[in-house]
Amino acid sequence: MSSDLATRVGALELEHPVMNASGTLDPLAARVAGLAIDAELALVVTKTVTPLAREGNEAPRVCEVAGGMLNSIGLPNPGLEAFAESVLPAVRALGRALVVSIGGFEHADYELAGRRLDGVPGVAALELNVSCPNVRSGCISIGSDAAETEAVVRACRAATGLPLWVKLSPNVADLAAIARAAERGGADALVLTNTLRGLAIDHWSLEPLLGGVSGGLSGPALKPVALAAVHTCRAACSLPLVGVGGIASGWDALEFLAAGASAVQVGSAAFREPLLARRVRTELATLLAQRGLPGIGALKTTTLD
Amino acid sequence: MTLSRVAACEPLGPYVQVRLERTFDPGEAGQFHMLRALAHDSFLARPLSAVAVDDHGVTFLCQPRGPALAALANVGAEVEVLGPFGRGFDSASAGSAPLLVGGGFGAALLAPLSRSLPAAVLLAAFRDAEASRAAELVPAAEREIALPPANLLDLLGARLAGSSSVFAAGPDGLVRAVAGACAAAGVPCQVALEAPMACGYGACYGCAVRLGGELVRLCVEGPVVSGERLAAA
Repeated sequence: MSSDLATRVGALELEHPVMNASGTLDPLAARVAGLAIDAELALVVTKTVTPLAREGNEAPRVCEVAGGMLNSIGLPNPGLEAFAESVLPAVRALGRALVVSIGGFEHADYELAGRRLDGVPGVAALELNVSCPNVRSGCISIGSDAAETEAVVRACRAATGLPLWVKLSPNVADLAAIARAAERGGADALVLTNTLRGLAIDHWSLEPLLGGVSGGLSGPALKPVALAAVHTCRAACSLPLVGVGGIASGWDALEFLAAGASAVQVGSAAFREPLLARRVRTELATLLAQRGLPGIGALKTTTLD
Repeated sequence: MTLSRVAACEPLGPYVQVRLERTFDPGEAGQFHMLRALAHDSFLARPLSAVAVDDHGVTFLCQPRGPALAALANVGAEVEVLGPFGRGFDSASAGSAPLLVGGGFGAALLAPLSRSLPAAVLLAAFRDAEASRAAELVPAAEREIALPPANLLDLLGARLAGSSSVFAAGPDGLVRAVAGACAAAGVPCQVALEAPMACGYGACYGCAVRLGGELVRLCVEGPVVSGERLAAA
């Protein structure tokens, strides 16, 4: 038998559950390099855009560590207006619906992005990045606090009719409380999780290896953390969940779906394997079929409900 | 992504020449590939530029620091290859008297370019005689090798006025100084830069450097960039 990979995140119906994680794909640059990665994704998630242009953090910005990598990129982006005017139409022309990741430093930043992108053709949802560990203010300081999270989501909710996905951090004491706060604020889904804050020391200089000192840990080491986050939030709220963190195979994706996610995002593992999303999708279909499951909905029903 | 295999390894001073079976597009001089030895299962591939290409093999010079690179330097090792990526050297505008300026390990990256510029003069600096063996890979009409305490920039200064173009590769400080000297002298210059990168195809933003007042991704706009633009940074 063949298994149907169709799924949905809230009202958004998807052909299959695999998309990219924000900040791990520039579909236009990938095309120039001969890689049609966007065609493998159910939705294309953009790199986080902030109201004003940002250059990001000092180099070095990436390094490998046991179990994955650290990044201290720091949200470089052209700013909301330049993004909406030039980047967004070019990405949209590739033919995939977009989830635009938005970040900021105060409530008004998310509200502004919500208003600017409301009704823009091709934008299927907004992903509120309240969890980047690599900026000195905003983002994660918002997402570390339940009241702040609720207020930011509420402000954005009032500004746009787009579905709001809220990407949360694992670097918090009470993730369930943050998840419930996002739900109260009007979120349509949660994305779990962003990277874990980490540090690497250079063996020669004995100084921090990254220019931004600490960075976000991604890769296989993040997967159990992200899975636990999905499991926690499944119990804490009734929002649909998108799992992200260390996914590098169909097995990994299946684990996230079994834990309660409706869809998954692949991130840093695609750096070494650009067409990873295709393999994850293929392997997932095989794994479901081997279990006699007609589709993703059946998996959730049979294993968790 | 293509699978290849290490056909031969040959030490060269402190480095290893790693010859891969030519199962992939070797690209142009100055472009790079992302290489990952399957046996080590490193999480990220490593960016390396080819130093020699023939009908059956593509050779990379490897500085085996760390297990991911050391794993490449094994005959028979299976290697995942992505690329070629990025923008390489443009030799069409080299003119009649091109200068190749290299430092350390990076000097070897000028080898594929030098084969298309038979009149080129090589100026290269190394920390010691062992490291200077990297220059053996670069054919040149004439060569000057600077070992400490000699100064490469002095050699460059003596040659710059009579040269039609400069192509540089090596440590960041060195190539920036070369770009600055060329900009001051009005000699066209192309520079190969290096930065840690996770992907090689514009996704991770790890390799961004300041160029002409803006941050650009080396894997997209480089690794070979205009020396004038670098000097203006």
